[in-house]
Amino acid sequence: MRSMPPSKEGRQPLSDTKNAPEMVNITINGIQHEAVAGERVIIAAEKAGEYIPRFCHHPKLDPVGKCRQCLVEVEGPRGKQLLPSCAIYVTDGMVIDTQSDVVKKAQKGVLEYLLINHPLDCPVCDKAGECPLQDQTMTHGPGESRFVEAKRKFKKPIPVSDLVLLDRERCILCDRCVRVADQIAGDPLITFNERGNQTQILTFPNEPFASYFSGNTVQVCPVGALTSTDYRFRARPWDLEITPTVSLRDTVHSNAEINTSRGRVIRVYGATNDHVNDGWLSDKDRFSFGAINSDERVTTPLRKTGTGFEEITWADAIDTVSARLGAMIGTEVGSIGGANNTNEEAYALSKFMRTVIGSPHVDAQLGDGFEPQLAAAVIPRAKIDDIDAATTILVWGPDLKERLPVLYLRVRKAVRNGANLVVVAPTRTGLDAIATHVIRYRAGSGQDVIRKLANADKSMTAILETLAEGPVVTLFGRTSIAEDPRLAESVAAYGRTLDGAKLMPLLQRANVFGALDMGLAPNLLPGRISTTDTDASSHIEETWGPLPDALGRDTAAMLSGAVSGDIRALILVGADPVRDFPDPQAAEKALEEAEFVVAIDAFVTDSSRHADIILPAALWSEVEGTVTNLEGRVQVVGAALPPKGQARSVIGMLNDIATSMGAELTSFDVSVVSKEIATVAPAYQGITRDGIVFTSSGAGIVVPSQEAEIIVEMAPRYASMAPDAVPTEASGSAVIVPAQGTQPLGYIPTDQAVPMVTDRYTLHYAPAMYDDGVITRHAPSIADLVRDPTVGLNPRDASILAVANGSIVVVDGSVELPVRIDEAVPEGSVVLPFNHAATKGLQAVPAVTVEPIRDES
Amino acid sequence: MTSPIANWSPENQERANKILATYPEKRSAIMPLLYLASLEHNHASNEAMCQVAELIGITPSQVRSVSTFYTMFKQEPVGKYLVSVCTSISCHLLGGNEVFDSVSDAAGVGHNQTTEDGQISVEHVECIGACGGAPAVQVNYELIEGVTPDKARALVEWLTQTTPAVVLADEMQQLFGGQRSFDWGPAEHAGAIAPVPAFGPYGSAGGDQ
Repeated sequence: MRSMPPSKEGRQPLSDTKNAPEMVNITINGIQHEAVAGERVIIAAEKAGEYIPRFCHHPKLDPVGKCRQCLVEVEGPRGKQLLPSCAIYVTDGMVIDTQSDVVKKAQKGVLEYLLINHPLDCPVCDKAGECPLQDQTMTHGPGESRFVEAKRKFKKPIPVSDLVLLDRERCILCDRCVRVADQIAGDPLITFNERGNQTQILTFPNEPFASYFSGNTVQVCPVGALTSTDYRFRARPWDLEITPTVSLRDTVHSNAEINTSRGRVIRVYGATNDHVNDGWLSDKDRFSFGAINSDERVTTPLRKTGTGFEEITWADAIDTVSARLGAMIGTEVGSIGGANNTNEEAYALSKFMRTVIGSPHVDAQLGDGFEPQLAAAVIPRAKIDDIDAATTILVWGPDLKERLPVLYLRVRKAVRNGANLVVVAPTRTGLDAIATHVIRYRAGSGQDVIRKLANADKSMTAILETLAEGPVVTLFGRTSIAEDPRLAESVAAYGRTLDGAKLMPLLQRANVFGALDMGLAPNLLPGRISTTDTDASSHIEETWGPLPDALGRDTAAMLSGAVSGDIRALILVGADPVRDFPDPQAAEKALEEAEFVVAIDAFVTDSSRHADIILPAALWSEVEGTVTNLEGRVQVVGAALPPKGQARSVIGMLNDIATSMGAELTSFDVSVVSKEIATVAPAYQGITRDGIVFTSSGAGIVVPSQEAEIIVEMAPRYASMAPDAVPTEASGSAVIVPAQGTQPLGYIPTDQAVPMVTDRYTLHYAPAMYDDGVITRHAPSIADLVRDPTVGLNPRDASILAVANGSIVVVDGSVELPVRIDEAVPEGSVVLPFNHAATKGLQAVPAVTVEPIRDES
Repeated sequence: MTSPIANWSPENQERANKILATYPEKRSAIMPLLYLASLEHNHASNEAMCQVAELIGITPSQVRSVSTFYTMFKQEPVGKYLVSVCTSISCHLLGGNEVFDSVSDAAGVGHNQTTEDGQISVEHVECIGACGGAPAVQVNYELIEGVTPDKARALVEWLTQTTPAVVLADEMQQLFGGQRSFDWGPAEHAGAIAPVPAFGPYGSAGGDQ
C-alpha cells in the first residue's frame, strides 16, 4: 500500500463554517488590505487585485516554489528580500511589494531563464493562444533572446499514457502534473528523472501513467508540454466556442466546459466549482465525448422490418407510436429509463406516462440501484462539502474510484487533511490504500457486518472507536449489482445512528437523482413525494389532472409483466436493460415478448435492437436543461451543438406524441418546463433553470431537504420482482484488513456455523470505470482502455479448485474467463467485472458455480 | 504474496530488513536500499528499482526519480572493476586527462564503457575530494592518489591479470600511487567487493564489520 503524505496546508476553512477565518492586515504596494491568516501571499494579492505572474502555483496543489516566477519583495528584519509569493504565507503586518524595480527585474530574469530551453514553437503548439508562458512572455518578457547556444533536444512527443502525450522540450519543470498525479489522484506514476541539466518528466519504463485522472495534468500544464491525444492539432483556442455544463458520466456532476469548433465537440475541460469537483474531471468525463460524434449514432427514426431497420419520417414515427400506445389501456404501458436525461425531460416523461398514457409504471433505475425513496429523500442528506468537514467518513458502496471518481478525489482530499476513513466492501477498492480501517466480507454477508457493528461485537472495537469520532458522513450504496439492494437500506439506517450523521446515497447513472426527483420511480411523484402521500399528490393533480390509481411496477416487474402479458408496451428511454438489468436474459425475453417496444436512444443497443420503433435521442452537449446530482444540487447542462441529424430532445418528441394522442403535455421551451417543475414539484419550489443561470454564480442550488422526508424504514408501495429473486443472505466471515498492511489479517468468526465453501460462490459483480457501456464503447479515446476480464478468487479457493493464475474456469456454466488469484477476494466469493463484453449474458445472482476446465487430452 | 527480494542473497535480504527497520519513514530507506539492489543486480536495473519500490510502498517511478539523480547509482551494468579517473580542476591541472587516456587505452574502452569480458569499466568523474593527492583514481570507489599515466596503465594490467576478489585502497596506493594528500590513518582492511559504493553502517558493499 502506498503511503500518502499529509497536506502541507491542513484543512481548508469552509465557506459555510460558523467560525469565520482569522483576518490579518497586510500592505501590498503601499495599500492596506485584509487577508486570511495563513493564506499564500500570491492568493491574498490576487484577492486584493494584484496579479502576480506564476507557473507552478496552483490553488489546489501544495506549494513548491519551483518556477520562481512569482518572486516579490517582502520587508523583513534584514530589509527587503525577494521571496516566492506562492510558498510564503501572510502574517499580520506583512509589507509586500509586487511592482518594485527589483521585483520586475527578478521576474524578467526568471522568465528569460525559463525560455532558455523552451523551443518557442508556438506556431505549431496546441497551447498557443491559451498559454501562460506565451502570455507572460508577451507581458513581461524581453522582445529578443540573448541565448545563442544550442537548446536541449528531446524526442517529441512521447506517450506517457494512452491519452496523454509529452513534449519534453516545452516543459518548464513546474511540477504541476507531478503534483496532480501524486497529491490529487494518488497515482505518482510520473516524476522528475535525470535531475540536473537533463531534468525531464517521465514514467517508469513500461509503466504508463495509467491514472483515471491523467487528463487533469493536460489541463493544468502551463505550457504545451502535455497534450491529449484526441485534441492535439485539432483546433486553435481562439476558434473554440465554450459552453458551460456539467458532466453526466456519473452522479457527481463535475462542472465542465464543452469546447466546440466547426460544429463538433473537440475538447472537454474541467470547470471549477469548489462545492462539487474542485475543477477536476475523471478521464471518463473528459474523453468520452467521442461518442457524440460517432457515425453509429441513430440520426433518423427507425422502424423494425423483417431483416433490420428502415428509416422513416418523424411524422410517421409519431403517428405509429401514438396509434399503438393509444390503443392500449394505460396500465399496459411501462417506461424504463430516463436517468440519462435532464430533469425537464424526466419530468416530461413522468407527466407523459402518468397523465397522457395513464400508467404508474415508470422506473429510471434498472434494478441496479436501491429503494427510490431512500435515494431521493434520505435525511439528513450530506452535501459534498460535508465530506471535507467530516471527522470520519464511512464508505460502504460501489468502489468510488471506479464508479464516482471525482467523489473519490474528494474523499482522498479529506483523508489527506486528517479525516478518518472506514471502507467496507467485499473486495479491494480504490480507497483501501488510504483507509484507517478496511472491512471485507464475503459477498452477500453484509448484514453480518452490520449486526456486528450495531451490537458492538468485540472484533469491531477499533473500528467502532473510529466511527465514534463524529461528525460521520456515511456514503452508502450497492457494492455490486449482485448484492441485495436492501443492504444499502440497512447501511443507511446504521449510518444514521452515528454521531453527527449525514448520509449520501451513491447511485451511479448520470442524472438518476434528477429522474427520481421528477418522479421516475413507481413510488415517487415529482418533488420527492411518495405516491401514498395523498395531500401532496393532490397538489400535483391540480396541474396534472388525476393520477393513475394502480400500483406502479419497477423495472423488474415491468419486464416480468411483459412476459406474462400484463404489460403490452415498453418505452425504453436511453435504457439498455439487456446490458444493465441484473438478469439480462429475462430482459431480452421481455423485449422479445412485448407487443410493442419504443426505444428513445442514440444508438442501436442490445436492447433497442428489439424495438419496433427507435426514436433518435439527443445526447449530452446537445440538450439544455437542469440536472440534479447525488447531493441534490441542481445545475445546468448546456447545449453546445444542435442534436445530430434528426435527433431530438425527449421533451419535443413526447410533446408531439401527446398532441397526436389528443392530449397536451408541456411546453417545448426548457425554461418554461423548468418553471412548471418549480410549481408542481414541492421540493423544487423556486428552483428554475433561469434562476440557476442568473443567480447561483455557477455553483448550482441544492434542493432543500424536507422535514417530512423520513426514510430508512418505509413501506414501498409498488410491485417488484426483485426481493423474491434474492434468497436469504449467504453467511461468511468479515475480514478486517489492517491499515498499511503491517499486521496479520484478523478474522471475525461467523455468527452461524455455515460451511464457507459449498459448490457455490457468492458473486461480487461490479463494473470498472471503463466498462462496455454504450458511450464508452463509442468513444474512440477510451474504448480500448477496458481491462481484460478475470475471475477473482481467493488463494484458498483457488487451491481447492486446483487452479492457478491464468487458468480458465467456467462461471455459472456459461462464462469462461482466466483466474486472477487475489487475497483481497474473500473466501467463498468470486469477483467478476459487470458490463463487460466477456460477462454479457451472465445473470447477477447472489451465488454462482465455478468449475475449472480440465485438459481433456 | 512472495517478497520482491526473495531471490536476493540471504545476507542482502537481512541487510534490507535492517535498513528498513532503521527509518521511521520507510521512504528514507530509498538510497541505502538502492545500493543493496545495485549490489544484487550489478546496477540499479529496472527490476532492482521495482523491488525497492515494493519494499518501501511507493511507485517505481518515484524510485527512479531518485536513482537517476545520482551518478553513482549505475543505470547500466558495469564491470567487476569500475575505474573512475578524476578530471576535475586540480587533477586536470596535474595530468588527470593523461591518466584517463592511459586507463582508457590500457582497458581498450572509453568513458562509460565496459570491456567485452565484463571485467573493467572506465569513467571520468567530477571531484572525488582528493585534490591534495591529485591526480586521483578510484577502483570500485577505493582511492589511489598521485597516479601517473604509466602507473595507471600498470593498474589496469594488474586488475586484468590478478583479478583480485577485493580491492584495497592501501594495497593499490602502495603499488600504483604516489604523493598522498595526507596520512589517512589506520589501514582499512575491508576493501570493496563490487563496483557499488560501500554504505558503511549496513555493509551494503564491503561486507559486515
